[in-house]
Amino acid sequence: MTQWKRWIPAGVASVVVAGVAIAVPLSANATAALPSKTAEQVIALVTNSSVTAFSGTVQQSSNLGLPSLPAGASSSLGSSSTATPGATASTGGSGSTSSADISSALELLTGSHTARVYVDGPTNVRVQVLDQLAERDVIRGGTDLWAYDSSKQTAVHSTLPAKSDSTATPTPTDTATPDQLAQKFLDAVDPSTGVAVGGDVTVDGRSAYDLVLTPATTDSLVGNVSIAVDSATGLPLQVEVTAKGASDPAFSSELTGLSLDTPSADLFSFTPPAGTAVTEKTLSAPDPSATADSKAKAAAAAKPVVTGTGWSSIVELPAASGSDAAALTSNPLVAQLTTPVTGGRLLSTTLVNVLLTTDGRVFAGSVSAEQLEAAAAATPAAQ
Amino acid sequence: MALMWSELSVLFRRRRTIVMLAALALIPVLVAVAVRISSAGSSGRGPAFINQIAGNGLFVSLVALTICIPLFLPLTVGVVAGDTIAGEASLGTLRYLLVSPAGRIRMLVVKYIAAIVFTAAATVVIVVAGIVVGAILFPVGPVTLLSGGTISIGESVVRALLIASYVTVSLLGLSAIGVFISTLTDVPVGAMAATVVISIVAQVADSLPQLDWLHPWLFSHYWLNFADLLRQPIEWSSFGSNALLQLGYVVVFGALAYGRFSSKDVLS
Repeated sequence: MTQWKRWIPAGVASVVVAGVAIAVPLSANATAALPSKTAEQVIALVTNSSVTAFSGTVQQSSNLGLPSLPAGASSSLGSSSTATPGATASTGGSGSTSSADISSALELLTGSHTARVYVDGPTNVRVQVLDQLAERDVIRGGTDLWAYDSSKQTAVHSTLPAKSDSTATPTPTDTATPDQLAQKFLDAVDPSTGVAVGGDVTVDGRSAYDLVLTPATTDSLVGNVSIAVDSATGLPLQVEVTAKGASDPAFSSELTGLSLDTPSADLFSFTPPAGTAVTEKTLSAPDPSATADSKAKAAAAAKPVVTGTGWSSIVELPAASGSDAAALTSNPLVAQLTTPVTGGRLLSTTLVNVLLTTDGRVFAGSVSAEQLEAAAAATPAAQ
Repeated sequence: MALMWSELSVLFRRRRTIVMLAALALIPVLVAVAVRISSAGSSGRGPAFINQIAGNGLFVSLVALTICIPLFLPLTVGVVAGDTIAGEASLGTLRYLLVSPAGRIRMLVVKYIAAIVFTAAATVVIVVAGIVVGAILFPVGPVTLLSGGTISIGESVVRALLIASYVTVSLLGLSAIGVFISTLTDVPVGAMAATVVISIVAQVADSLPQLDWLHPWLFSHYWLNFADLLRQPIEWSSFGSNALLQLGYVVVFGALAYGRFSSKDVLS
């Protein structure tokens, strides 16, 4: 008779647990009422932001319609030059090879990453990419720049020129904080971009303005870019990029657990632990002793060529050394991810198309594959 | 309380329990001896941390834990938790236990706590055996954290114990599932096998990217995140989410086990 009552706790417990699991994320998304601001005022809020020291956790996820790579697969792509994830790309990238660029780009395009970020002014920055059972760190303390990889037990040290106080904060190339991304997008705002303020949003319990950038051109694959700007500090908390015609963001980067306390100073100093292979890397900063001619040559050899403007621009990376390009296109992983098209192989995602031409050049852009092929056909191989 | 002590002494005097703990203790020994014999550094292969053993014996317990978490620990936990009720039922001792005025709820709680104590003992055995073997075969020194910083030997022992507690908490959900399954049957082997199979199914589902909406709800999702305790500063968020997740499993399957056990006709 009372047997069935014995099951009441089981039913109640299941309902309560399910209720808590569903209700807690929902209540975090409850919108807050903020004084309304125009788009210009929100952009001014970002540029005038006085936050110099903060720490938090960046959650980055990409859903570009690519199969997610097994961890470490993409890092095995770039032959020997990938040992320096942060240093090459963050310092102007003039010395990086296209092979390393592509392998790090592939990692950016797949899966999700979690990184802890500690910032104290422009010269003290630490980014920790949290991998399972491993960690990749980039530490900048003053003029010292360290990149440390715990699974490979390698560290790369370089010294930044003392005057470069305002250089971009270094990050491992596969993770960027929302404020760095937002800065990139805001820098690119031009007449080809529609800027509007969406409804108020809440990111990790902080109320924020939602700045929506919409490309005016119909050529771009990007539907819109949504930047959540913290109402109290002006710090961009979240960046979401949605492909044209899609409802869910194809790429998002979110800053959670934001703390405005100054991080402990010992986080910004780094001593390589015993047993670590340390590489000293001299940065390819302009060398005063080099002749103008050789400098110009070096720049021409490595500098990406940009054609088109705004959202539909196409970046062309010149041909790397022949063996590099051959190794890349014959890589089984690349072969699996790309489809053959006229003139090369195409890596197609919801946001970006990348064309690897048979002569080793790389064309990338947020445009349709046909436009990339046309661009490749229009420009002769710069050999 | 007396019931608790008698339950624990029965559990830990069983030959099966002792053999399982000894087998777990053997894993760090095997790891350490294998690294010691081969000694040629094969970098980039094998489980995480294994390259660091030769330089610092304290890493033996971490490697052993990484090896044990996917299979050996769920296996032993499944054996103990699956045996809790079904084992008594198959021996015909369950009805005598229930004749005593202890009550079925208390009985269930005592059985579950005993399974948790076994889990904690199993993890601590792995960690301690790893530290001891590592200290015998290899030099011991300050430990390198994942973030590149180093901590003293004393602090690294504290972190090792923290990791042991993390792993124990990680297995609470599986123990609760095992106890629930154990109330469903009178055949202990069936309950043990079902528990182990569930833990394997959960881990397989956790590795399929197509099921990523499900991943945060799998009790095995945070199992390998014990490494978050080896960062500088310690990343506590996975400890918190893991504990919350396991609590959910304990509440649901504890209530289910209560529903089944209290309404069950005990015939054997």
